[in-house]
Amino acid sequence: MEPLISIRILRANRQFYPGEELECVYQVDAVDAEDIQALEASVLWHTEGKGDEDLSVHHFDRLLPSDAPEGDLRTQRRLTTRLPNCPLSYAGVTVKIRWCVRVRVFLRRGKEAFFERTFVLGDLPKVDPPRRARSVSSPTQSDDDGTSADT
Amino acid sequence: VARIFRLWEKKRGERRTGSQLVAGLGEGLFFGVLFLIGSIWLTYLITSYLIPATPQLFRPGFGYWLMVLVMTSLTLLGGGGVIYAVLQVGTSAERRSALAKRAANIDLVHDALPSSRDFPTIPRDTNLTNSPGIRLAYRLPVSHGTVWVLFAATAFFLIWNSVAAAIMIVALRNHMAGRPDWFLTLLAGPMVLVGLWSIYYFVQQLLLHTGIGPTSVEISDHPLRPGQACQVFVSQSGRLSVSSLTLSLVCEEETTFRQGTDIRTERYPVFSLPVFSREDFRIEPGSPFEQEFQLQIPDNVMHSFKSGHNAVYWMLSVRGEAHSWPPFERKFPIVVFPPTASPRVDRWNR
Repeated sequence: MEPLISIRILRANRQFYPGEELECVYQVDAVDAEDIQALEASVLWHTEGKGDEDLSVHHFDRLLPSDAPEGDLRTQRRLTTRLPNCPLSYAGVTVKIRWCVRVRVFLRRGKEAFFERTFVLGDLPKVDPPRRARSVSSPTQSDDDGTSADT
Repeated sequence: VARIFRLWEKKRGERRTGSQLVAGLGEGLFFGVLFLIGSIWLTYLITSYLIPATPQLFRPGFGYWLMVLVMTSLTLLGGGGVIYAVLQVGTSAERRSALAKRAANIDLVHDALPSSRDFPTIPRDTNLTNSPGIRLAYRLPVSHGTVWVLFAATAFFLIWNSVAAAIMIVALRNHMAGRPDWFLTLLAGPMVLVGLWSIYYFVQQLLLHTGIGPTSVEISDHPLRPGQACQVFVSQSGRLSVSSLTLSLVCEEETTFRQGTDIRTERYPVFSLPVFSREDFRIEPGSPFEQEFQLQIPDNVMHSFKSGHNAVYWMLSVRGEAHSWPPFERKFPIVVFPPTASPRVDRWNR
């Protein structure tokens, strides 16, 4: 059975500006404590679109069972980091930049699972293809839940 | 059985249906075998060369050194592959990125250069601000993209026409000897036509680079930020009867991606703002066209950005059309930073 990973960003609209502090809580559940080999929480941006994916981590925590009381990594944890000046979230035509908080859990026998929640850095408008409009349209909304889980 | 051993698996983007651990082990095993074969053979070859008592399978000569070269390649490839596979197994992309970032932060050369840590992923503007202008603070360098077009056109023109000329000579000789080779003759026709087109294209590119005088763009401030205004000075030399000359602020997205075994790079213009335009005028040698005007970077636009496979570039593009000349375009890269953080944080907190 896959573990449940939850991430809650402590700002309702999940929109931040450079230099602001991002705060979130995350928790791993529905898995035995002894099955968790390691837990990684990161704040990162990655690209989407036509080009190959680029990824860069802004904040990274790696926890081992020895780091937690009684070796249980399932307790709720808090992550706080000051966001950088750039890159800003961007919804271009062939290049998109998305920021997210990602929690990855490493289980026994080499299995792993991750879950991420997106947020927006800056307030850049979405770029329309040039034939329709030259520059800007409506402001970018934070997309869906930014939820994706994979094993 | 299929769950234990799967001969084929699907690749869905970056995800695969099979076990990552098994894939990593397989990759490590493959490179490990390569490393073993290479290192054992290399040891044997070197030992047999250095110790005369050892029975020599290969006498030193071309074949011997070729074997040394091949086995060295296998050893390096295998060793590198094993290290890469070990680093990949059990290590997430985030952890690798964090390690790379930590390594970059202790790079001393990095520290000596400006802006990279406060504004990661924004290209440095050192090459754009190291040349002072005559009228304004900085003279922008021209993008070298068009030089590569001339280089490619020259290479194609030389190689293609050499081959076409050789085939044509052989075909003509056969005709003159009374033994016409019609297949070769038919082949020579299209090759000569392509060769003529390549001559036309080469001459056109050569004239664009040498016949039309240099374009110079200077700017009063750099780097720029959204909403910021600055002065721009443009100068065009040569002997031209210009029908139009336009300077635009352009933003292009660039993506690099794998397509089969090829690596392709594509550029897509997402923003173009004409800043200055002039029509129907003459440029004479000794009296270049010169114009100074104000440029305003729009609010709420993406900053310059560069990562491994994706980029957002800003530039000033000068496009011209002159009588008796093909249209020309020269690009002058600039760097746009994101807006300053503090006012936005203030605005957000209100």
